[in-house]
Amino acid sequence: MKNILKKELTLSASVLSYLFIAFGLLFLVPGYPILCGVFFVTLGIFQSFQSAREANDVVFSALLPVAKKDIVKGKFLFSCFIELCAMLLMTGVTAVRMTLLKDAAVYKSNALMNANPFALGVAFFIFGLFNLLFIGGFFRTAYRFARPFVTHIIAAFLVIGAGETLHHIPGLESLNAFGFEHFSLQLLLLALGILSYLFLTALSYRGACRSFERIDL
Amino acid sequence: MSIVTVKGLRKEYPSFRLNDVSFELEKGRITGFAGRNGSGKTTTIKSMLNLIHPNAGEITYFGIPLIGNEAQIKQRISYSTGTVSWYPRKKLRDIVSVTKRFYPNWDDSAYQSYRKLFALEENKTPLELSEGMKVKFNLLLALSHRSQILILDEPTSGLDPFSRDELLDIFTGLRDKGVSVFFSTHIISDLEKCADDIIYISAGTIRAAMSVRSFQDSFSLSGETLEQTVLRLEKEART
Repeated sequence: MKNILKKELTLSASVLSYLFIAFGLLFLVPGYPILCGVFFVTLGIFQSFQSAREANDVVFSALLPVAKKDIVKGKFLFSCFIELCAMLLMTGVTAVRMTLLKDAAVYKSNALMNANPFALGVAFFIFGLFNLLFIGGFFRTAYRFARPFVTHIIAAFLVIGAGETLHHIPGLESLNAFGFEHFSLQLLLLALGILSYLFLTALSYRGACRSFERIDL
Repeated sequence: MSIVTVKGLRKEYPSFRLNDVSFELEKGRITGFAGRNGSGKTTTIKSMLNLIHPNAGEITYFGIPLIGNEAQIKQRISYSTGTVSWYPRKKLRDIVSVTKRFYPNWDDSAYQSYRKLFALEENKTPLELSEGMKVKFNLLLALSHRSQILILDEPTSGLDPFSRDELLDIFTGLRDKGVSVFFSTHIISDLEKCADDIIYISAGTIRAAMSVRSFQDSFSLSGETLEQTVLRLEKEART
């Protein structure tokens, strides 16, 4: 497992996957739909799948002394690694925004979604969708990724739109609360986001292993 | 002693069919897999590596079925294909350093000696290599982990005559060490130089699987070279 991850990190990955982790910093930008940062991180991971395909990475991996499911595992491990790095950055930024910068006027008058645990939960959910729709879709053929990525774009922006809309609905204002007033509710929603991420990723991994086992390379 | 068995292999595509392909490879022998382009050589080899799924058939290595034991078997075999370029923009050094981690039997001294023989510079990328040098790099990876079977798909295509000759000498050296070499080719003169056995495939069907000497005894007309025999058989099959 360590070897296949090393291969992903050093040979298969595009440098853009690492650079685009920095889009997690968008959680710091006021008056900006911060969840777009999550989408940009997935765009970075997509670049690795694209460059890996050009490098005949899947066939190279299939010739190595590993089981086919380990090749799938490598792609998931790499993607989760990037996603969790981005989550770490977004969590740090959210913590700064909620504590050190809590009195900043730009955040108090922010019309768009605030960076809080609920936003982090939605970020986890978007990453889970990416793993399900894009990575799972990619492994149906191991070379076609346009349709899976377009599907992911549609799903991601629907979720971003929903995230930006929900707190405008009467009774759901607490989702966007700034500060610690509704912290326990938001933490609960973060936990749901993490659970959905784990569930969607596990579901996608199992399906991808099955698909990849069946296809001809 | 047979170390690879291919039995009843069948693969159907819309415009091509591999028909009941069966043969065995012996330990410490060089086997040439001959046939024209599109005859089914690559389909057979891909099946032997579990890259494609045959409709029927069974493949075993060292008496162990390939299906279910792929990782274990691939530790003991090597594969190299012609001019496919892996990771064209990565340095050869980086590709090697990742690849060797997968093989506990990686032989650094063999790697260095073949690298020098092939005159491959580790700081180059596959993109900077000529087609022939790409073939050599793929071979370098295949030769460096003490495998017991080398499976090579068109290894001599794209190589200059000197490099081809060197490569055929390497095959002979490996055979002397007990390694089995199985290589596909449509250059029959390569078989004449070093092969012990020949498997001749035409239109998806194995026409012969025997020693080169038996093949010539059975099929060659008086004074015919191996190449002339195969060419004649292929012409006869098409008329």
